Parts: sequence; structure tokens; C-alpha cells
Amino acid sequence: MTAPLLEVDGLRKVFVDEEFETPVLKGVTFALQRGEMVAMLGPSGSGKSTLLSILGTLMRPTSGSFRMLGRELTALREAELSDFRNQQIGFIFQYHHLLPDFSALENVLFPHAGRLWRETRAGRERAAMLLERVGLAERMHYRATRLSGGQKQRVAIARALMNQPALVLADEPTGNLDRENADQAFALMTEIQRETGTTFLLSTHDRELAERCERRIYIQGGVVVDAPTSAALGTSPAISARQPLRMVPGEVVAVVDRTSNTTRDDGDRRLA
Amino acid sequence: MRFDLKVALRYLLSNRLQSALLIGGVAIAVTVFTFNAALINGLAEFQIDRVVGSSAHVVIEPAKPAPRIVTAPAGTERLVVSQRALERREQIKQWRSVERIIDTLPGVTGVSYNINGTGLVTRGQQTLPVTLKGVEPSRLAAIAPIDRNIVEGEPRLGLNDVLIGRKLANDLGIKVGQPIFITSNQGRERTLTVRGLYATGVDSLDARLAYVNLDTARVMFDLPEGLTEIELKLADIYAARAVAKQLADTTGLEVTAWMDKNQRLREALEGQGSSGSIIKMFTLITIVVGVASALLLTTFRRRPEIGIMRSFGISQRFVLSVFMLQGALIGILGSLAGCFMGWGFSYLLAQAGKSSGRALPVDPSLGQYDVALLLAAAASVAAALWPARSASRIDPVEAISQ
Repeated sequence: MTAPLLEVDGLRKVFVDEEFETPVLKGVTFALQRGEMVAMLGPSGSGKSTLLSILGTLMRPTSGSFRMLGRELTALREAELSDFRNQQIGFIFQYHHLLPDFSALENVLFPHAGRLWRETRAGRERAAMLLERVGLAERMHYRATRLSGGQKQRVAIARALMNQPALVLADEPTGNLDRENADQAFALMTEIQRETGTTFLLSTHDRELAERCERRIYIQGGVVVDAPTSAALGTSPAISARQPLRMVPGEVVAVVDRTSNTTRDDGDRRLA
Repeated sequence: MRFDLKVALRYLLSNRLQSALLIGGVAIAVTVFTFNAALINGLAEFQIDRVVGSSAHVVIEPAKPAPRIVTAPAGTERLVVSQRALERREQIKQWRSVERIIDTLPGVTGVSYNINGTGLVTRGQQTLPVTLKGVEPSRLAAIAPIDRNIVEGEPRLGLNDVLIGRKLANDLGIKVGQPIFITSNQGRERTLTVRGLYATGVDSLDARLAYVNLDTARVMFDLPEGLTEIELKLADIYAARAVAKQLADTTGLEVTAWMDKNQRLREALEGQGSSGSIIKMFTLITIVVGVASALLLTTFRRRPEIGIMRSFGISQRFVLSVFMLQGALIGILGSLAGCFMGWGFSYLLAQAGKSSGRALPVDPSLGQYDVALLLAAAASVAAALWPARSASRIDPVEAISQ
């Protein structure tokens, strides 16, 4: 068995201000395998976003460790973290967070051109290909402000994949979309995950989407729990608090390693 | 194109009104800077021209001989009171060798070999003191434009001719073509014919100075070989000190530059220069404050975007560069526009002055545009440093959640 992509061990985060110490993560431990699509569930304030920020190297933990691709990330300096983030981690946020003064193509290209300090033909071609892949070939030169909410989120997905990251962290990626657009965005991420073998970790409150992921992690009270209480999942009949979430049959057809050359069945170009 | 430059340009173009106001602000400050320079420097040139235009830039005079000191007997203490030696007449005897040195000097536009002395001019019962300046006729206008200042008669200096100021002529009640009787301080007497009257506009000159032929002066002042003074005119008046030092070192004579003979003018020019510098400093401070505050606002407004950039691994250096480039672009564009406006404003005022007959001492060519361009651009970049550093240090998590 190959080594996990990400190993999180005893991760703690305590926010300290002048008056209070607020422990948010109290020793989170889990691992992500390469090419997995994992949903992270938990009630608001359980520490999901903080965990994603730490895993995305945007925030340092108070203690604990996490290794990705064999590197202990807590030991890296700021510039090294920035470079690692650029190369290996993609972000998708609840709100698309596109740069409004740039076109869809430039937004997708930004992580690549910003690292090299210049635009390259290869970079533009890949950005264009990604936009084509997310169904926005016709609108690649539109300013971000001229796109609809669903289109913006698709551009954000393409941007997250620009530098071929090993891990995509998605914080409520469908939380700002209507059902139809949410389903489309999720389907797109699932397809890309299958095609490229990119690992996805999705923080979500949408249990229907979570159910379609290969695996779920529950965060409650700052720790990972095996069986969440009803408070963690709410009272929706879709998922019982005491029953484990089940896979949707046929939803995930393959988990592809990043190093494989799997292509889509319909002959689309490879993303990885 | 560099990608940081593309981002900086896009940010400037995305808020055109703010960018235009910023560039306009820098342009106005640079306009003030360059116009102030054109005015202060133009005024200085005007004053210098008034003072130095009609006089020598470098004057060579005989060395002041040191008094001889009697050797004191061994073991005795010696107290010396020094006094200028007056036992010999001061003159430049070997002036031909000095002439050869002068011929090798670059930037010398005119030389006059003179014998100066004092005397009395008498007409009827009227006797007035005069300074006689003996010059070679061919070099009459080498230093002062006497030929252009002649208001009556002609600028000719034969052996028996004299050119006097119009005021002296009025004081003596004399006209061109009439004779005057002159007695030199060496007791020599001569009757000369007034060949021309000049008016320099300086009363002290027009009432006291009389030009005679150099050979006439030799006779009147008993100097068959030597000179009392050599005057030089230079292409670059500010090179006068260097030229004076060089000549003093090589000839051993007493050589003085015009600025050392006109201490009051120098002090006045220095005062003007200082006040001009203060105005320039305030214009630079205006640029720094304006650019820094506007870019700080921009930084604040773009915090979420900077947070997003940082989240996908864009380095702090890249963010820093984007904001520094914005400062540099504002500075360069603003100062180019300001230089153009400053030149135009100075030119229009100078032209308006000429056409109205009341010429303003503004010289558009002295606007120090290169200095303004460099300083304004540097001030803008310096002003951008603080906002740029603050932008590069934005916490991405905090910024994204804004």
C-alpha cells in the first residue's frame, strides 16, 4: 500500500487574545490517501475551516504535526510554505473569490504566472484547457464580474487545478450555489478527481453531497469522531445521526492514482 | 510583459479616476517644483548677468609682495608686525608668459590686458576724479559690451581718444568731439578727445570710468612694459573658481573669481536657493503623503484579493512588487506630465513677459526637469513602500474572511 498523501497527527489550535484562550482543534488525527474524495462534516464552529486553513498552510497549528508528500509542513518557513502551497495545494472557497479585474482565463492562470512572474504560452494553454474542461471555453475572456455565480465557481475550480496540485481543499464549495449549480460543481469536481487522481477534501454541510463522497470525516468539538451526534449532522431524514453514511452505488467508479495516465472515457484531454 | 507589472497596470486602470487624481497630484507637485526651479534659477541668472555680464569673470592682478623680514640674532625672540610692502609699484611684468598660459585654457571667451589708474579730469573750472582703464582697442568689448553701450559717438580708441560715461559728460558739460584735460596719479598730463559716450545703467561706472588706449595708459602711468590687470570672460561662469585656482597655481599671481569679488550677490543667491529648496522639499513631501495615503487605501480595499493571491501561493515579494510598481508608475507618469506642464507654464510666462515688455526672469530651460523626474519617481516609490509592505504581510485567512 502506498504511503498516505496527508497524515495529520494530534493537531491542536488554540486562538489566544488579550482575554481568552479558545481551543478550536483539540488533537485532530487522520490521514488522506492519494486520489480520495473525502467530505468533512461537522457543525458550525467545530473547527472545519480552521483545519482546512492549517492543512492549506495558511495558518500554523499550536501543536501537532502534519505531513504531506512526505514533508513535515509545520517545520517549513513562510516562503517555503508559500511555494509548497502554490505547487501542491489548490483552494476552492464557498464564495468564489475571483479577482474582479481579471478575465476568467487570467484568474485561472494567476497561480502559475504569479509563481513565474510572467505568463507563458504553456500556462495560457493549460488555463484555456481547464476552462474548456469546466465548460467555459466561450467565456474565458469575460471579466470575472460578468460571470454568473455557478460560472464563477467553475472558474475557481479550474484555478485550483492550474498548478496540478496533489490536494484540493474545498471549504463549502457549493454553499453559495443553488441546487442545480451545486450539483454541477460537485459533479465536475468528482469527474476531475477521477481523471486526475487529485485528492479532494471538502468541508460541507450538504449531507447529500457528502454522501456521494468516498469517505467522510466528522469533526465535533475540535476532534475527529467516528460516530457524530445528531448535533453534528442535524435532523435531516437523509442521514440518520446514528447510521453511518453510505456510499451512493455507482457514484464513484474509480480512484485513480495521480501518477497514472487514466483519461476520460469520452476522450477529453487529460488534466493531470 | 512581467506579470507583476501587468497586475499593477490592471489595478491602476481598474480605478481610473483615483489613478488620474493621483497622477494629477504628482504632476501638480512636479509642476510647482519645475516652475519654482525655472523661476529661482532664472532670477539667479538674471541677477548674475546683471552683475557679471558687464564685468570680468576672473581677474588677474599682481602678486602682493610679502614684506622682507630682518633675520633675528640667534637666541632672541622675534615679534613681527606685517604691513603691505609699498616700496615697489605693483604690476604684471611677465604678462606675455601669462598670455601664453591663458591661450591654452579652454572655455575662455574673452581676455583684456589692462592698465588701470586714477586721475583727475578737468574742463574749465570743473575737476572730477576718474578711473582710467587702458585697453587694447581691439579688445574694447572683450569684457564689457561697451560697443553696444555707446549712446553717442563711436567705440573707437585712438591714441588721443577717450570714451567716457554719459553721466560724467553731463557733469562736465561736454559733448562728443570735444577735448578734456586729464592728469594721472603719476603726474602725467594729456589732452584727449571724447570719442564716444556710453551708458551702462550703473551710475558709479557712468560717472567715474573712462576708457583710453592701452599705449596712452602706458605713458600716463609710467608702465612701459607691465600691466596692472588681466581680465577674463568665461563660457561657464561657474567654472571661474577652478580657472582662478589653476591660474594662481601656475602664475603665482593674485587671481580672483567673480563670486569672490561679489560676496553680497553670492549671499543673496544662496538665500534664494535655500528658499527654493524648501519649496521643492514641500512638493516632494506632498507627493509622498499623497501617494502613500492613496495606496494605503487601495491596499485596504484589496485586502481580500491579496489574501486570495496569498492563498494560492503567490509570494510576499510578488505582492510587494505589484504595489511598488503602482507607486513607480504613478510617480513616473505624474512627473513626466508635471515636467511638461512646468515647462509649458514657465514658457508661457516668459513669453507673456517678453510681449508685455516686462520680462519675467523665468527661464524654462532651467526647470531641473531631470532632477524633478528622478526625485518625484523616487518619492513615489518610497511612498509606496509602506503600503506595499503592509499588503505583502496581510494574513490571508483574515483577509479572505473579510
